[in-house]
Amino acid sequence: MTYNKPLPQIGADTRFFWEGCRKHVIRIQKCGNCGHLRWPPAFLCPRCLSADTRLIDVSGRGTIYSYVIYHVAYDPSFKVDLPYVVAVVALEEGPHILTNIVECDPHKLTCDMAVEAFWDDVTETLSLLKFRPAKP
Amino acid sequence: MHAVGVLEAGLCKYVLISYGHSGRWGEGMLRMLLGRNGDDAVFGHFGASAGYAMAARRAMHEFNTGPETWEKIAVGQRKWANLNPRAMMYDRKMTTADYYSSPWVVEPFRLADNCLVADGGRACIVTTVERARDLRHPVVTIMGLGMHSPSADLAGSRYMAGPTGARAAGKAALDMAGIGLDAVDACEIYDCFTYTVEITLQDYGFFRPGEGRDWFAGGTIEPGGRMPVNTSGGLLSEAYQMGLTPLTEGVMQLMGRCGDRQLGPKTNNKTPEIILCSDNGGILQSHACYILRKG
Repeated sequence: MTYNKPLPQIGADTRFFWEGCRKHVIRIQKCGNCGHLRWPPAFLCPRCLSADTRLIDVSGRGTIYSYVIYHVAYDPSFKVDLPYVVAVVALEEGPHILTNIVECDPHKLTCDMAVEAFWDDVTETLSLLKFRPAKP
Repeated sequence: MHAVGVLEAGLCKYVLISYGHSGRWGEGMLRMLLGRNGDDAVFGHFGASAGYAMAARRAMHEFNTGPETWEKIAVGQRKWANLNPRAMMYDRKMTTADYYSSPWVVEPFRLADNCLVADGGRACIVTTVERARDLRHPVVTIMGLGMHSPSADLAGSRYMAGPTGARAAGKAALDMAGIGLDAVDACEIYDCFTYTVEITLQDYGFFRPGEGRDWFAGGTIEPGGRMPVNTSGGLLSEAYQMGLTPLTEGVMQLMGRCGDRQLGPKTNNKTPEIILCSDNGGILQSHACYILRKG
């Protein structure tokens, strides 16, 4: 079946991230000068303004910083998923990232709950980084 | 604030601040409320309602807030709208039970936590006090102004539950006015969502984090209450006209032009001398506070 949901607008700043996702690896930029890990991607470090940028792979472990439960599909392609969860996950390494929480009862989620990466291979060339409650 | 700047610089004599929008049939408002923000849409995340709901959920985790607090804001403001024939919700009462039976939109927000989409317009004129004294309507003076814009992207912030820009903007405005909160007779707060009213008043210092639930109890913000808030019904129950809904209502109240909802003997409130107004943009990313005085 064709994937009919919005696709990422992949540009020069974000290509490394989506290429990582395709290999099920979470790549985050790390400042070569001050060591700050940043998200969203940018060509300068927002902390020290250095352009010296490295890429590191992070663990995929994190906690839910905040989340909402959609009961309305603002884009009709999400109707089949209702109710679905959009969350900001605080990665163990620091950055906050917008994502979905899947494989869960939305009403059993809480802020600061432990989650782990879940790869959703939505097309042959696109994998989405989602999260699910961490297995003990 | 820009209007004061160009008047002080002598670039003009009068500044018209206006807003008009056919929000109910034009697509601009829907694009703002539901539009795509970068790659958030890939994960089904759209628009303002969900962004504020995300902030409100974090607030529920960090301090004592939630629907029990927001219900008092929605119901309280509706009582003001029921006194305002221009309000979209003039004819529609809202009880606590009505609030709780309102459908979820993006949880933790129900439909009743969301502002209206309206057709209409608002305007006000800013000039010097000296010129205003020669005009037809009573003078309302700007005592204090403050602005603060703390973050470009709320999702990336570490303080999603506040303090918002209201903290620094409110302090700046009160300092310029040379007053404390105890001198404020009423508030007109930018209320895109119920929670926005709570976090704004909290960051101004009317109550400490989580004490809003008690502060709003017992009809505090309603007609006859000890701190009237959003006396036109606000964005939630009068009409969405951006920051001009609260600002123009503050000015009209101090001029004494508010009909059945006029603060004073009619509503069993003090006749106001000083009203605090707010405006807010993005997802709690920018904030302005205005303090107005009669005369």
